[in-house]
Amino acid sequence: MELNGIGLASAAATFLGVWIGHVSVRKIEREVDRIWIPSTIALLLGIGLELASFWTSSRVLSTIGGIASVTLLGDALEFYRQQERIKKGHAPANPNNTRHARILATHPGATTIDWLACDPRGFPYSGEELKPVKEKVK
Amino acid sequence: MNWFGFFVGVATLFIIGLGFIWVIRGERYFGYLWWPYAMGVGIVCVLASLFLSNDWASALLGAFGASFIWGSTEFKEQAIRGELGWYPFHDKKMLPPFADIIKKWKAPSL
Repeated sequence: MELNGIGLASAAATFLGVWIGHVSVRKIEREVDRIWIPSTIALLLGIGLELASFWTSSRVLSTIGGIASVTLLGDALEFYRQQERIKKGHAPANPNNTRHARILATHPGATTIDWLACDPRGFPYSGEELKPVKEKVK
Repeated sequence: MNWFGFFVGVATLFIIGLGFIWVIRGERYFGYLWWPYAMGVGIVCVLASLFLSNDWASALLGAFGASFIWGSTEFKEQAIRGELGWYPFHDKKMLPPFADIIKKWKAPSL
């Protein structure tokens, strides 16, 4: 029986696209002052890969291009969603980034704490538990 | 013009979107300790995609499998989000078989 590699190509493109996109968006958004620049680059790369997926006659390459394209287009949007998470305090702000410093000054929920860096403990945190931690760091 | 990648890409977008939903709901009612099972389902889907002769079915099953593997790495952070009150917390979770053993393993996180 002949093996079909398209599923493997599709899986690799999906997993790597989501993984690399997820990590890069968080790192780049944390460091860059003007996020429209990386967002536009992701948008253009996404469009470029989509066009490339149309032009190739190979179904494997077309699959990789098509999937990488949608993950990049998603990343273009994700830069702004990550900024919203920073404003809410759901992702840690970088005080050395001037944009983040402005967010820290203007959004009471913003914090430098990475809440997700710990392990789950099995029961919810109370407001009384979280408040002193937040006040100590901010 | 080859439309194959475009349609697989659009379908993958929906599969990834569905991933967010089942990770959030799955963690809420079953808990993050199911992560090895989700990862196993994902790996089985990717391997099974190799044996499908239909290109569409193979590509979609591969993307579906990858989203399961990715979802298994999201469970831990989602559990913390629930504990922090960012998402509704359900305290009566249906734990997986061998939960005590899985608790000792480090849950993956991207």
